[in-house]
Amino acid sequence: MNPEHCVIIGNGPAANEAALTLRGESRDLRITVIGQEPVRHYKAYLLPEYVSGKLAEDDLYVNPPADHRERDIKLRLGQKVETVSFDTREIILDHKEVVRFDSLIVAVGGIPRIPERLQVFSDLFLALKTLADARIWKQKLKDAETILMVGGDLTSLSFTKALLAMGKRVIFMINEDSFWPLRFDDEIRSQVTERLTAKGVEVLNRRTIKGLAGISENEVEIETDAEKLSVNAVGAFFGLVPNVKFLARSGLHIDRGILVDDYLRTRFAGVYAAGDCAQVYHPELRDYWVSIGYKNAWNLGKIAALNLIGGKIRAQAVAQSIFRVGGIAVNTSWWTEF
Amino acid sequence: MTVEVCGMAGDGTIAAGGLINEAMSLGGFSVLGFDSYPAEIRGFGRCVTRSRIGSEEIVALADRTQVLISLDDEQSISRVPFLVDNGGVIFDNNPSGYREETKSLAAKLEPGISLFGMPLGDLATGASGTVRGRNLTALGAFTAIFGVPPDLFRKAISDKFTSKGKAVLEANLKSFNAGLRYAEEKFKDRATPVFDVRNKLGSGKRVMLSGNQAIAKAALDAGLKLYFGYPITPATPIMEYLAKQLPQRGGRVMQMEDEISSIGAVLGSYYAGARAMTATSGPGFALMTELITHGVMAEIPAVILNAQRGGPSTGLPTKTEQSDLHAAVFGGPGDSGRIVIAPTNVEECYAMTVKSFQLAEKYQTPVIVLTDFYLDNRVENLASPAASSEEKADWNMYPHDSTRGKYWRYASTESGISPRALPGTEGFIYTATGLEHTERGTPDYSPENHMMMSAKRYRKIMGALADLPSPVEFSSGRELEVGVIGWGSTFGSVLEAVNTAAERGLRVGALKITSIFPFHADVIRSFMNRCGHVLIPELNYSGQLANLIGHLHNKDVIRLNMVTGVPFSPSTILFEIENLVGAGT
Repeated sequence: MNPEHCVIIGNGPAANEAALTLRGESRDLRITVIGQEPVRHYKAYLLPEYVSGKLAEDDLYVNPPADHRERDIKLRLGQKVETVSFDTREIILDHKEVVRFDSLIVAVGGIPRIPERLQVFSDLFLALKTLADARIWKQKLKDAETILMVGGDLTSLSFTKALLAMGKRVIFMINEDSFWPLRFDDEIRSQVTERLTAKGVEVLNRRTIKGLAGISENEVEIETDAEKLSVNAVGAFFGLVPNVKFLARSGLHIDRGILVDDYLRTRFAGVYAAGDCAQVYHPELRDYWVSIGYKNAWNLGKIAALNLIGGKIRAQAVAQSIFRVGGIAVNTSWWTEF
Repeated sequence: MTVEVCGMAGDGTIAAGGLINEAMSLGGFSVLGFDSYPAEIRGFGRCVTRSRIGSEEIVALADRTQVLISLDDEQSISRVPFLVDNGGVIFDNNPSGYREETKSLAAKLEPGISLFGMPLGDLATGASGTVRGRNLTALGAFTAIFGVPPDLFRKAISDKFTSKGKAVLEANLKSFNAGLRYAEEKFKDRATPVFDVRNKLGSGKRVMLSGNQAIAKAALDAGLKLYFGYPITPATPIMEYLAKQLPQRGGRVMQMEDEISSIGAVLGSYYAGARAMTATSGPGFALMTELITHGVMAEIPAVILNAQRGGPSTGLPTKTEQSDLHAAVFGGPGDSGRIVIAPTNVEECYAMTVKSFQLAEKYQTPVIVLTDFYLDNRVENLASPAASSEEKADWNMYPHDSTRGKYWRYASTESGISPRALPGTEGFIYTATGLEHTERGTPDYSPENHMMMSAKRYRKIMGALADLPSPVEFSSGRELEVGVIGWGSTFGSVLEAVNTAAERGLRVGALKITSIFPFHADVIRSFMNRCGHVLIPELNYSGQLANLIGHLHNKDVIRLNMVTGVPFSPSTILFEIENLVGAGT
């Protein structure tokens, strides 16, 4: 008889912790991790320090290259899931391969969000979500002196810190869209502005971008409702949105992420979601919450794995890190680290 | 960098591999390419081409592959274990149907491998109207991803397809360009983890030749007049090449009914004074054996190319092996000493084939050139070889006119070489026979005569050592912990292994032997006795060279024998060297 096949879609902290937990609990299970990025699991929150040169690429990786193989976990990198059929328990990869599963954990994380009104300029924005993004930034910063940061999520703050350490001039533009799904209120905005200014950042509050133009490889002009700017690069940091578009027709319930109960179960038996792509029901709040940050994702991955093999563990938001915004509870570490 | 192309027969795999070799050669790289393909007819089975490309001289295939170009995923799965940990795979991500995980190439890859999926078939169809150009599309992708100047490939494509007409050439160029453009755009931000060829371009014009082509070209340059043969893998390409070229130089190629008639015709031609040769493989060589000994006995020159393949009998027709050494040296009835030489690379295939005509004429005996499937089919780019006028000269020792009317064809001279008159020369009539004979050629079975004539023939053969290349040593000349003796196509792997071991600080050396019989016993013995261990890697089961020369050493030689049908990898030999050094300390 073939062993039960558990597939984990994603290769971030939730996915990898789920895989390691499953292997730790079950020797017989066949485990496959499918990640779209062509690199093994790394600490994405350290990317700013990699860009600044403080860390080498090897410092980012979580496990040695052969770690998964030694644990008999099949790691498939650079391979994209096209669709999932829960009726036939099949995953279709974009190179027309059919992968059959008995159980599934979706832990695909998020992708950078660009507010709708700015999407027309998206080619001129640089993100810092992946190692590939970081490599582009490293190249860009060889010739760039002035960087405009738009948005205001956690990455933008740590990246600003790295840019300052590199001696770059940083202009920071904050508006109400800055950190989805948060909306900055006056108190938060003032806190952030104060901290940034103290570090030598030029903060532009309540600006609306009217237009962007790429003048050359190394120059972008920005027109706001208050001024015109010329910078060498523009970083867009508006938070992440769950990367679940490929599941839109799968029958999973999706709102801002994949809706799961407090045991991280989706509506399909044996199918779980964890990490940034999950929207978790909180029975006491009687509402859903989303998770942000490496440690939270790691924790949810572990819980999903334990529940998949018969556990009964509730995923609970950590009280001091919850922010309720627009009916959504956000569980995150905060930016006081900056 | 080693690049592999893998597909089903009919996918254009071999053509794609050939274009890689040609293009990289045009770029000034050293190239060694080798194809393997099924024994069956076209349309079945797996084809694999391997191209090793470097800015320094390549002497062997590498163990591992940096880039795999898959034209058939199911077939390419077998090549995955050979990929380096950070290799790259170019494959068709939009095949005609869905495939299960068990048959998916992508499912078998380790996480460090970079995947470059692209719709090869769609791109080729869109560009040229036919899916057949998907091999060219893949080459376009290879060019873009690894930074090879596209014009190298365009030139190679033009050279290959111009003779097939403008439409065919344009279709292939369009398919290539489609893959190039797609990959330039799609993979522009992908850092490639493999060897970057972009800064390795050298200069210097080279020609790309396979071992078989070098042999055929050498035969032409040496003044071959007549070729007789019967098709057999892996020797057939020699006849194909000569069938096109030899008539243009006034010669003839004749396909005979079998190998017996082929060698018979070669002996007949040479008897009459016309340079002739045949090429065969193990099974055909076995059929020739009796007539080869006839050449020995009647002292008639002949050039016989034995392209070894897996045996015995029909064996493994498309797999390489070095297991005909005993047959070449000893095969046949009686004490029939003959000259056996074995080139170790394509350049030597040329040089030793030229040499074989000289030896055959001078020593009036069959000369056997031993190659093998790997050497015959591998391609190398080398400076265009040419034969000197001395090498092309008539080496026959004609009788002095003073002996007219009193000519002894088999006179027992000091060297054993008897002046040879061509039939029809007035005053030099003689009997040539396979029976034992007197110095005049008259049959004679007396003990004294047989002793004398056997000694004369062996004196002649052993005297050929003066004209046979001496073994070449590659070492620092000091006392060696391990000495490795190699022959034939295996020697390249021996040399690479020894060089690597030396770089690691081991006292090792390599000895290349190309003169298999007679062999330079003194040189070999001297080398052996400076070595703590003597290792002889061979692609045969019984250690046939070790059997021949092992007695020269003052202790047992170490045999390393493989009959897997594939060439020796340098790492296998290196592993054994390091084991021996470890055992000796």
